[in-house]
Parts: sequence; C-alpha cells; structure tokens
Amino acid sequence: MAGPRLLELQRTLADLILEGEDAADPERLAARHGLEGADQEAIRRASQGLLSYRELARLSLLEPIADMFPVTLALLDAAGARAECLDAFLQARRVNSPHYRDIAPAFLGWLVETGWGQATWPFLSELAHFELLEVLVARYPDGPAGAALRRQPLDADGLVLDPATRLVAYGHAVHRATEEAPIPRAESTYLLAFRDARGDCQVLELSDATAALLSQAATRPIAEVARELGLQDLEATRALLTDLRERGALAGFRSLN
Amino acid sequence: MARDFMGVGLGLRRAHLEALAQRRDHGVPFWETCPENLIGDGGRQHRHACAILERDPVLTHGLAISLGGFDPWDEDYLKELDRFLVRMGTPWHSEHLCFTSVAGSSLHELLPLPFTREAVRHTVQRTRELQARLPVPLILENITYYAELGQPEMDEGAFITEVLEGAEVGWLLDENNVYVNSLNFGFDPRRWLESMPLHRVHQLHIAGHQKFGALTVDTHGAAVIDPVIELMQWVLTRIGRPVPVLLERDNHVPELDELLAERDRIQDAYDAVLALPVRS
Repeated sequence: MAGPRLLELQRTLADLILEGEDAADPERLAARHGLEGADQEAIRRASQGLLSYRELARLSLLEPIADMFPVTLALLDAAGARAECLDAFLQARRVNSPHYRDIAPAFLGWLVETGWGQATWPFLSELAHFELLEVLVARYPDGPAGAALRRQPLDADGLVLDPATRLVAYGHAVHRATEEAPIPRAESTYLLAFRDARGDCQVLELSDATAALLSQAATRPIAEVARELGLQDLEATRALLTDLRERGALAGFRSLN
Repeated sequence: MARDFMGVGLGLRRAHLEALAQRRDHGVPFWETCPENLIGDGGRQHRHACAILERDPVLTHGLAISLGGFDPWDEDYLKELDRFLVRMGTPWHSEHLCFTSVAGSSLHELLPLPFTREAVRHTVQRTRELQARLPVPLILENITYYAELGQPEMDEGAFITEVLEGAEVGWLLDENNVYVNSLNFGFDPRRWLESMPLHRVHQLHIAGHQKFGALTVDTHGAAVIDPVIELMQWVLTRIGRPVPVLLERDNHVPELDELLAERDRIQDAYDAVLALPVRS
C-alpha cells in the first residue's frame, strides 16, 4: 500500500466514484490500491452498496452542471457527447472547493483550461461562460460601500463599474443560442451583465463603441475616450452613462486626479 | 443547553428565503443553516438569508469538511467559518462523521469511514484539531451508509461511540439516518440506540427518505413518516431533556405553508412527549 490502510480505502471509494465506467470495479480498485485480502473480500461483498455511492456522488456533482448549462448540454446531447464530456470532467478531479456553488465554475474552468471540445465547437467555452454569467453576477459577494461617487459624470471623470458588473466580449453570439438552436453565429459580441435594483441579473448587448467606452473610461476621462471613439454627441454619451448608473451597471463617476 | 434552542426548527433553504425574510409569524423556533452556502456568497437571496439569520436564532451545520479524510485543513475557509459562527451566535456547530474529499478532490457526498480502530484514532485526532480551530463546541452527526468500506473491526455503533468519547464531543443524532440504516442493514433502531451514548446528544435531525429498489436513501426529499416521528419521541423520552430537533428538507421542497405545517406536526409530537413523565 502506498499510504495507510484508511487512506487507501478512501482512495478506492473516490476512484470508484470518479473514474470512467470501465474502471468502476470495486474489487479491482481495491487491489490497485494494495488493500489486502480481508479488505478486498469485504469490498467484493459490498460492491453493490459501494456502487450506489458512485451513482449518488456523481448525481450530486453533475446536478449543478445540468442546472447551469442547459444550452451547452443540449449541444453536447445533439452530438451524443454529454457523457464523454462529463466523464472527462469528473476524471480530471477539478472540484476542489467545499462550496457546492463552485462546481459549475469548476466545470467552466476545466473547459477553458483543457480546451475540451473546442476543436469541434470553437464557441464551447464562450457558450458555457455566458450560461454561468448570470449566476456569477447575481451572486457576486456584496462588499462594503466604496468611496463616494458622483451620480452624474463630468467630462474629466472616469466611470466606475458596479463590483458585480461584468463587461464581456465573445467571438460568437452565444446570448442568442437556445436549447433548440444551441449553435451560435460567429460574430463579435459585447455584453454588459449587471445587477438591477431588485438584485436580478440583466444583460445588455453593446455596440463596439459603447463596449470600448465602458472599458477605457474607467481609467481615462470620459470625454476624451468618447472623442477618440467617434462618439460626437457628448450629451448623449453622458445620458447613456447616467442611465447605466441608474439601472445598476455603474457604481458612479469619480475624478481621475 | 442554550435556552433558545428547543422545539422543532427548520433548515433554511433558498426556495423560501424571500418569503421568510418578510415574515416574522412563521412559528419556527430556530433555523439551521449551512455555512458553506453562505460564506463567500452574495446577491439578493444572500441578503434575505442574512436578514433572517440576524433576526432569528440559528444553529450551523457543515456539509463539506472532510472530518475523517486526509486533506489538509482549508485554513482560509476555517477562518471564514470562525467569523461566521461568531456572527451567527450559534451555541455549537455540527459536522458529519464521514469523509468528503480525497487528495484535494471534493466529492460533495457524505462518504462512510471504515469501522476500524485506525479510523477511530484518525478521526478522533482530526476532530480534536478541528475543535481547536472553532469558536464554539463541535458536535458530530451520524450518517446514513449504504456499504461498509473494507473489513470492519467493530460495528457502526461502537465506531460512533469511540469517536464521540475519544474526541469528547457532543452528538447530533440524526434519527432518520438510524432508521434508514436499520432498513438497509436489518436491525432494530431502538435496540441500536439503547447501546449508544445518548447523554452526548445535543440535537436531533429528522427527515424523509425514499426507497430505490432494495436501497432506502436519506433523500431529505419526502415528508417524514410516522415511524420516524415515533422514533424521535422514543429518543426524546429516553434522553429526558428537551433537545432541539431540526427538520431537514432539501429536495422536492414544498410550498412554505406546507413545510410549516409539517414542522407543526412534528412539533406537536415533540410537545406530546415532553408532557410525559421524564425518565430519571
């Protein structure tokens, strides 16, 4: 045995839960972990009960993924690839947090880092990211109130996004994908996801110029950025930003000095 | 025993947070909440949960600390947990007598420890380590199990008793888990409980279960059946103290009024027992 008997017994059960179907043989896993005759025999006798843990734990681990990524999974289902994808995710053992809500982000992180399925579906990680975006914004941890900010922008001000707000850029129109039509069109897409006054997530589709304004005017004067972007009507720009503040996307405006 | 914690409480779940935040006449004497679900969370539902927990008495119940495992403690999480327990004002904190992670991989399932002397020693040591990091007494909950992991050297009752006695901690007696285990392994739950250290019980859990083929599973997804309520009454009589009982409902959560009515039904059974002469 590589470790104490107790540890090897725990490793055996973890492998039984997380390994692929071919490896889900309790007795063989016990032998692989160097467990001795009496334990191997006990595990053989208890195979059925131990295999129920495989079912229960996998249900527990995969339920938040089914809840969070219905369009992504519809895409995989259409190709008969759901089981392969989820098996690969579980075998990668990327769920490391004690928080149940972190399982779905772990799945997204695994998709992005491994590039699983990207060769077939180049938009896959963007689609999954968009599906999770609403929850990430809605449940963003509330922090203490920041420094006092202006409610109306001055030309020399920079803007301050609300801490929960996310400005995202995708190469595909993933926000228009549905379970019935899960393949998004390839097109540059800028979205602003933010919490409204009630705390619900709202998503706005942005023009290229507005996305650039929101991105750049955090650290540079609003009027200067607007001019560079060809937004000639500064009054309209100020009205737009004020509206975004009132809707909850922006926290306010601050002097950059 | 903290004075506020008697009667039948409810697990605080997302489905009813908004309604409960606005409702003081719910009749629930205390709530139980899982720190893992609140620490680091935010947003509207989180604010509702915090409003309820700051208004009403609360007990805390952990889901994911791998007490019998080998993974190092998540010190950052334990610091957050410490602050959370102090903020909630809970008189104790409960965790499960099980393991939940292996080699850093969280399995989000309550997995059974082997009933061995090595597992007792290891779990007693880990329990003492965890207790030293918490600002309130730690109590441990017995779990349902669907298979013995490896060759046992003792039975479940002896295993639980040795850990509780060795670590000198209290017991969160989940009597639905005892009932489910008795169905799956064929024993008399009352006889099993008679041999257990009931003087260590700080709190009870009660819940519903469901049968899937030959296996009965602790799903927390159905109403509590009468034999489980009767077992609660038997335990309360045997203990002779009004320990708090917590009704767990995590799946197929009914409408709030239906859930409150189920709590009332169990509260009536609880009250009926406490009117009986208490054992000396």
